[in-house]
This record gives sequence, structure tokens and C-alpha cells, in this order.
Amino acid sequence: MATGNFRIASAVIALVVLALSVSVPMQVNAQAAVDPAAKQTLKRMTDYLDSLKQFSVHTQTTLEDLLDSGQRIDSDVSASVTISRPNKLRAKRQGELLDQVFFYDGKTLTLHNRSDRVYGTEPAPATIEEMLRYANDSLGLIIPAADLVYHNAFPMLMQGVTSAMVVGKTVINGVTCDHLAFSRPDVDFQVWVADGTQPLPCKYVVTDKSTPALISISTVMSDWNVAPAVADDSFTFVPPEGATAITFLPLDVSSGATAQ
Amino acid sequence: MKTILKTAVLSVCLGLLFLVDVPPEFPLRVEFVPEAHAILGVRRRAFRRGAVIGAGVAADETAAAVASQPAAAPPPAPAPAPAASGKPLPLGTVVSSLPAGCTSTPVGGVDYYYCGGNFYKAAFQGNNLVYVTAKP
Repeated sequence: MATGNFRIASAVIALVVLALSVSVPMQVNAQAAVDPAAKQTLKRMTDYLDSLKQFSVHTQTTLEDLLDSGQRIDSDVSASVTISRPNKLRAKRQGELLDQVFFYDGKTLTLHNRSDRVYGTEPAPATIEEMLRYANDSLGLIIPAADLVYHNAFPMLMQGVTSAMVVGKTVINGVTCDHLAFSRPDVDFQVWVADGTQPLPCKYVVTDKSTPALISISTVMSDWNVAPAVADDSFTFVPPEGATAITFLPLDVSSGATAQ
Repeated sequence: MKTILKTAVLSVCLGLLFLVDVPPEFPLRVEFVPEAHAILGVRRRAFRRGAVIGAGVAADETAAAVASQPAAAPPPAPAPAPAASGKPLPLGTVVSSLPAGCTSTPVGGVDYYYCGGNFYKAAFQGNNLVYVTAKP
């Protein structure tokens, strides 16, 4: 309980500090709602990500949610992602509700549910971006950290942005990061970008403004490696003993069927 | 304490947000949000399942909530559990968890689960493991 109170107190203090630190740039930016400096830093980040041939990163995501009763429950998901452009990706995602590894080797994609000892494999398009689109559009599959891969991430993020500001600088996991805040009609998002020659994302927070609860998703990134040692065979799934192959439901079927 | 937090959040939000017109919605066209939906879809079902087990109510209407919709869609309304009487479900019916008392039967290299007059097999629906009624 003491810990809980402490956490809440810390959160309140953090929020108040944030509020205070925000108030000054707010006034500065009151006339120009979209601060070019915020856009520029975001663009520097997406361009840098785009320029990387290979990288690996660890992400820690907290998903806020409300039970039907209104009680707030958070879920944490930890993911490790390794990408080798143009056509290799491996992602391990673990949390209280998930224990999955995703493999893509340029020919097939595989989703492996380790705790259930089942996996599904499908032929896949030839590049990571095409694969992500196919996985999402045809299989309803969401790959962790897919945001980091898209070539056109910048226009996608900026679409509909009505306000952009540089909040300030902070330190996340020992790295000095520029704190940017953007607002869109239904969503606010904040991005923290590492200061220096490697403008990598340190953290994202996305807040859904469509509900009064202002539910957020936050992801902290760490252990960036822009030159990871990657063996090609580490992207190819080899079924472990006892694992069973299952199929993916086509998206139209999966969205249409009901249990009655 | 909660009030303080709320107030703090509110004041920060008021401080942070410009009042914006709200034209037609632009969902964030990146993956954070769909990914959250995908994961939370699993949790909603897990909570429902947990609640059912905890209460010991076999016929709770959420016992076999329909598996989550595709990632970006809103969570589906819970569907009634398959009838325990053994009334067969239409083929291709998707449930998020097997009814109680299923027995596993491998047929031609595929594991089928038989219970309540239905055969089920496991499948992925997006990132979620679901069970689909099927004919062995």
C-alpha cells in the first residue's frame, strides 16, 4: 500500500512537474500551433530509423484499460525485436497474456505461441513492409514495433496533427531525450527522441481522447543496437518438439463468425 | 488520493491540449493502437474466463466470448456459451476458449477437441489463439 501511495504520489509530482515545464513553451507556441522544431526532430528520428539496415531493440509497453466496472487495469508487454532489411524480422513478445515469437525470413511468416505449443506458418511477401501490410490486412496480425519499420512513418504520424510542441529534455534509461508532444483530433501522442547523433526513439505515449478516461499506451525502448549480429537462420522458424501446426483464419471469416 | 490524481491529470491535460475542432476522426495510422487492441482483446477474454471460473457459473453468458475481432475493430459483444445440451454449432463458429470437458482426438495429423456435440480445432485469429468448429 505504501508503495502504491508512493507511486501515485510520484505520478502526481511527475504530472505537476510536467504541467509546470509545459506552461512556458505553451505560451511561446500559442500562436504557431505546430512548432517546426518538433516536426523537425520527429522527422530526424524517422529518417534515421529509415536509414538503418539492421537494428535490434527491446520495448516495454504498458497498456491501460478499464474493466466494465470502471476499474483501471494495466497490462505490461515486453518485446524484443530484431530487424534486418529488407526482408528479415524476428520479434518475441511476452506478458501476462502473451508469449509469442514471430518469425519472418523473406519467404514465410510464422507465429509461435510458446505456452500453447502451437504455431501457424504462411507464405509471405518479399519485403518487411509488404509483409507487415499483408499480415495486418489479410491475417489481422499485429507485429510488435512495426512502427519503427515503415518508410513513410513521418507523414503517417503527422497526418491530422493540429498541434506539435517541444516540451523539453529529459533522461530515460540514462539517455538524454527530447520530449515532443503532438495532438490530433482524437489522439494525442508524445515521442521522446534521443539527443545526439543517433536520434532513436526513447519512448512513445499514445492517448486516446475519444473516451473520458483518456486511456494511454506507453512504450519505452531500450537496448538499441544499430549493428546487431544477425545470423540469417535466426529468422527462420524451426518447430520445437511437441509443437503443433495450426492455420490462420482468413480475416473475413474471423470477423464474421460468432459463437451462436 | 484518486481525486488529486484526477485533478492533476486534468490540469495537465488542460495545460497540454489546445482546444481543437473535432473534424471526422483520423485514427492514428501506426501500429501502437492496433497492437493495444490486439493484446487487450486477449485480456478481456481472459478476465471473462477468470470471472466465470471464479464464480463457478458454468453457463455464464461470457464463458465462451467470441474471439476478438481484427485488431483495429472495437471489442465484440460477448456471445452466449455453446449449449451444453449437445446442440451442434454451425461449422466455422469461432470461440475464444474450449468448453469444459473436451477430449482431444488427433485426426490426420490435426488435433480435434470433441465436446458438447461439436468438434473444434485450434487456429490463429490475428494474434489470438481461438477454436473453430470443424468437421474432422
